[in-house]
Amino acid sequence: MDVGSLTGRVPLSAMLPGAVPTATMGSGTWLPQAAASGAPAVDKPFLGLYMAGALIVVLVTGLVLTWVLTFRRGDAGARGEPVGRPNPALLGAWVLAALGLAVWAFASGFGGFLDRSVAPYGAYDIAVNAKQWQWSFTYPNGWTADTLHVPTGRPVRLTLNSEDVIHGLSIPALRVSQAVLPGQPAQAWFEASDSGTFDLGSDIYSGDGYSTMRSALVAQSPTEFDAWLTRVSDIFEGRTMEQVGELLYNRKGCVACHSLDGSKRVGPSFKDVYGFEFDTREGVRITADDAYIKQSILDPNVSVIAGYEPVMTPFAGQITDREIEAITAWLKTLSSRGGTAAAAADSTVGADAGQKKETE
Amino acid sequence: MSGGSGALNTGYLGGGDGLGGWLGTRDHKRIAVMFLVWSLGVFLLGLIYALIMKLRAQSGIIDTHTYHQMLTQHGVLMVFLFVVPAIPSILGHFVLPLQLGARNMALPGFSAWSFRFYALGTLLFLVSLFAGPTATGWTFLTPFSLGGTGAFMVMAVGLCLSALGWLTTGVNIVVTVHTRREAGMGFFAMPLFSWGVYLAGYLLAVVGSLFAIIIIYLGLSRAFAGGIFGPGSDPLLWQNYFWFVTTPAAYFALLPAVGVISDIVAGIARRGGFVGYRLTVGSMIALLALSFTTWGLRMLGTGLGDGNAVVFAALNLATVVPVAIIVYCWLATLHRGAVLCVAPTTFVAAFVLQAGIGAMMGLVLASLSVGRYLANTLFVTAQSHYLMMGGVMTALLAGLHWWWPKLTGRMFRQGLGRFGAALYMVGLNMAFIPQMMQGVGGVARGTFSLPPALAGSESVSFIGVWVMITGLVLVASNLFGSLFDGQAAGANPWGAGSLEWQAASPPPQGNFTEAPAAGENPYAA
Repeated sequence: MDVGSLTGRVPLSAMLPGAVPTATMGSGTWLPQAAASGAPAVDKPFLGLYMAGALIVVLVTGLVLTWVLTFRRGDAGARGEPVGRPNPALLGAWVLAALGLAVWAFASGFGGFLDRSVAPYGAYDIAVNAKQWQWSFTYPNGWTADTLHVPTGRPVRLTLNSEDVIHGLSIPALRVSQAVLPGQPAQAWFEASDSGTFDLGSDIYSGDGYSTMRSALVAQSPTEFDAWLTRVSDIFEGRTMEQVGELLYNRKGCVACHSLDGSKRVGPSFKDVYGFEFDTREGVRITADDAYIKQSILDPNVSVIAGYEPVMTPFAGQITDREIEAITAWLKTLSSRGGTAAAAADSTVGADAGQKKETE
Repeated sequence: MSGGSGALNTGYLGGGDGLGGWLGTRDHKRIAVMFLVWSLGVFLLGLIYALIMKLRAQSGIIDTHTYHQMLTQHGVLMVFLFVVPAIPSILGHFVLPLQLGARNMALPGFSAWSFRFYALGTLLFLVSLFAGPTATGWTFLTPFSLGGTGAFMVMAVGLCLSALGWLTTGVNIVVTVHTRREAGMGFFAMPLFSWGVYLAGYLLAVVGSLFAIIIIYLGLSRAFAGGIFGPGSDPLLWQNYFWFVTTPAAYFALLPAVGVISDIVAGIARRGGFVGYRLTVGSMIALLALSFTTWGLRMLGTGLGDGNAVVFAALNLATVVPVAIIVYCWLATLHRGAVLCVAPTTFVAAFVLQAGIGAMMGLVLASLSVGRYLANTLFVTAQSHYLMMGGVMTALLAGLHWWWPKLTGRMFRQGLGRFGAALYMVGLNMAFIPQMMQGVGGVARGTFSLPPALAGSESVSFIGVWVMITGLVLVASNLFGSLFDGQAAGANPWGAGSLEWQAASPPPQGNFTEAPAAGENPYAA
């Protein structure tokens, strides 16, 4: 099987027919158009501190210039008023004002910073992978793209990892900047408020291609987003049912617990499963036919094969009937009894509970 | 400002012992001059890199790889080989013994070796450019800096030698302050510049030794693909070491800068003292302590944990209090003075404006939600330049103008000096305000090709660089031109009160013909 077809990677142009973004990191000299609900937590403190800072610089520089011009004396022997101690009230007020400014600077950015630290419950998860000099984004259904599409009005949680060096995910319109370190997955979240295509790139130098490590964020209404994801991730397009089954085995994470070579992992191997009989933990004899496989996917802990723990995550609501059919079709290709379940039902049952029983 | 009259003496500058006499010297004043000349060369090279990089968008004369090589060399040159050591090495060596009433630094051998380490380090850095310039970025982030081409180890050894120069300078300064103060001069009778250099001396010694070690460790990790910074190590480990070392380095550039400005403020105010002297000393000590606690915020955009970010932001913001006290004391000293409007006065105003902008930008960056957004943008680049070029470089120029009559025995033209300073200030702001605003727009640091929409602001910035250079050329021609046609300065052309003005201009070998008299007030005329 072609790896490309497994990951579903498609070029940017295919992602955005007729609307390829000319993504350039930062294109203005002021805060970019805000497109995230969290943007005010950045913009308001920035504007406040920017104005206050400008005023303070003007005030202090103005005082220096005023004192210099007011008290300037050209004659060489001139002497000013002898120095005394600082005026305690004035100095106290000055320092308190500075302290107040510092506290304000801290407080104004603190809430927004903490809000960004932990994503809300139920956020839409997207895995982000960075490598020199390319971004890829993997959606919950396993689809991987090189453009980040997100639904508006819903928190999106990014889990970021790097394959090589440190990168920095930057989406100025969403006020997102997150370092991506190798071996240390990081998280960032946002909620896009406006639809549109926005700059996305790297803001940490990572080599010659750093400036070209750009992509785009496409924020769409939930309906449009769902339609887009459904369209681009139609895994049945151009594949046999068996190929789709194998694809799902990798994407859905089955590979972590079920081997293909007969070895025992957390769950039973998929080799020679279909069409064979097993004893469950309750001592009931079952046949791994279409119905049992479907039940084992949707509600797997109802009837667990003896020798294994009921620890599998139910996939009800996360997988379609057609995808289950595809997995079943693929499992048949892995079984020496890949014929019909009826044929399997005719087989003879062995003696040892919990062991796969091959018929004569 | 008119200079003194009478025949010029050549002081330490004369002697007829030629180049050999200079290279073998242990006199603090000659070593300061050699530091000045060498640093000027380093600065010019860094400036040339900056100009070529500025041309990138318009000219296409360099490709991406060359651009990132030059960005790395520009950062290394300007940060490690110029801004950080400039004031302690040049003004520290020249002024400190004079202000203490001493005949020389306490460890003249260290003085000589500090320059040799610096010169050798710079030469090795230049060798690395010919052997193969690196493109790791000047912060050498791992694991990226472990790969790529270039003579990294040669550069690392060069930087290690330069850092040994910091170490020897720092030790020398601290020992000099402790052992060479004129009899009767207490710690609180030292001018504020001496305090600034003294405090920076501790930082130079600690930071110099640490930086010398970690840069070699990094070179070895790169060469042998192992070690604590090697492949597979925590990528935050190097950053922690690097910023722990180099954040105080920024302070040891800024603390003497504060000392320079304070001394000039006391001098031009002509009030026979400095309002809030002890408060200012206390604030400088507070800044020294805070310098070792603020490194983490530099990692806000490159992986610093959220909890740590909160702590480091609070510590960074704590620096506001000592800075506010120092600024208040400057204003209070100028108020009701008999203020001299000379070229150093213009540089003081420029310092307040530019370092003020840098400090306010730091305030913005320490507001965490904003800081996280801006941490990796050109906003940070602009802020660094405001602090280093607008702060440290301006203070160096202010100090050079203030002590130039002492350094050379000649007076320069005040009008031309003021005009050059104003031009430098205008150019610097034209150069870096657009960069700041591009950062606000989200443009990342080190971006090679800027989008067309930024062409206008980039052109303003480019013109600003040239205006700044024009100002610098005027300043340099005024100062160096005075060597040929300047009036004799006399011992104390500004009517200032600290001890260095009791020495002849330029001072002779041994500095003072008679033991200077120090009182409790360092600025009492």
